[in-house]
Amino acid sequence: MNDNVVFDENLLEMLKTIASEGIKNAATGFSGMIGHKIEVSNPTIRLVPLLTISEIVGGPEDDAVGIYLRFEGDMVGQIMMIMPYLKTLELADLLMESPPGTTQHLGSIERSALGELGNLCGTFFLNSLAKSIDANLRPSPPAVMVDMVGAILDVVVATSGGISEHVLLMQANFMDGSRSVEVSFWVIPDMNALQNLINKNSKDDKA
Amino acid sequence: MKKDPISLGLGEHAISRDPEDVLVAYGLGSCLGISMVDPLTRISGLLHAVLPGAVNGVPSSDPNSYKYVDSGIEDLLAALVKEGANKNRLIVSIVGGANMLISPGLKNSFDIGTRNMETARKTLQRLNMSIAAEEVGGHTGRTVHVYVADSRVTVRVIGEKERNI
Repeated sequence: MNDNVVFDENLLEMLKTIASEGIKNAATGFSGMIGHKIEVSNPTIRLVPLLTISEIVGGPEDDAVGIYLRFEGDMVGQIMMIMPYLKTLELADLLMESPPGTTQHLGSIERSALGELGNLCGTFFLNSLAKSIDANLRPSPPAVMVDMVGAILDVVVATSGGISEHVLLMQANFMDGSRSVEVSFWVIPDMNALQNLINKNSKDDKA
Repeated sequence: MKKDPISLGLGEHAISRDPEDVLVAYGLGSCLGISMVDPLTRISGLLHAVLPGAVNGVPSSDPNSYKYVDSGIEDLLAALVKEGANKNRLIVSIVGGANMLISPGLKNSFDIGTRNMETARKTLQRLNMSIAAEEVGGHTGRTVHVYVADSRVTVRVIGEKERNI
């Protein structure tokens, strides 16, 4: 197990700032996609034990949609956005500019729209992150999964299980008037990425 | 009053001989649910393993053996036998091991689901145990239940009903 990065309070505080900016930036991307302003509220970030993650976003058997992308460049990592299935139907209405309640199931067009949303939010988030740590980051195309929460999050657990015991969880509400969708972002930076942040953090402290 | 099912999180296992108990692992994606039941004594066990295990033949030093398919199977078997189950009577089922990521842009995904399945098969073969039923692979998540009362093992996928395997 290589989990020797110590998550001190300073690092977490710094990550909170970066993530909060990243989520706001993602909301800007979202707004651009649908052509009017999407507000973001209550962004939270915390470090959670890897093996408990499927208990946090609803129950592990609940129906959900996951949008997954990887990033590479100066550092590698993964982002998983996960939302309750029923909420994604509302989101699809929003994206397709349909009246609420129109979308009854996710067909290929709706999945594609959600994938595009994930791509956009992910890219905007990454841009924020890249700017904060002065790195070059490139996202992969998104993969959209419709399945049980536990099964979707297995992707996160399996690909980071040998490396890290904790992952960063960010949650925020995206609101469009009275419509609100809580989105959970799981971000799994690799250890080198975290080390970069720590190094930069300590340099800033010394400066 | 009906008891709640005993729900296993990632890297957990459970053993029971209480006929009122139901063991369950919800939403298995690439993870593997491995059940072993002794129909005579009703001693039943279920494991929710996350990763294949030993890397390059070197056993993991991780104290949580149930997180891994290889060490988890061995420890589950040992625990069941210790409880009084007969190894030769144990009916083994494996569920899960899906590849959840299907995207043309993510071709280089290392498919943990398949590796979990392969490791389970190899480990069971090494222990001289055969697999009675399996519902593995593909691209969908699954929930597995083990009913201690009648040694039944069931699977459910999203949008479908629970069924025996």
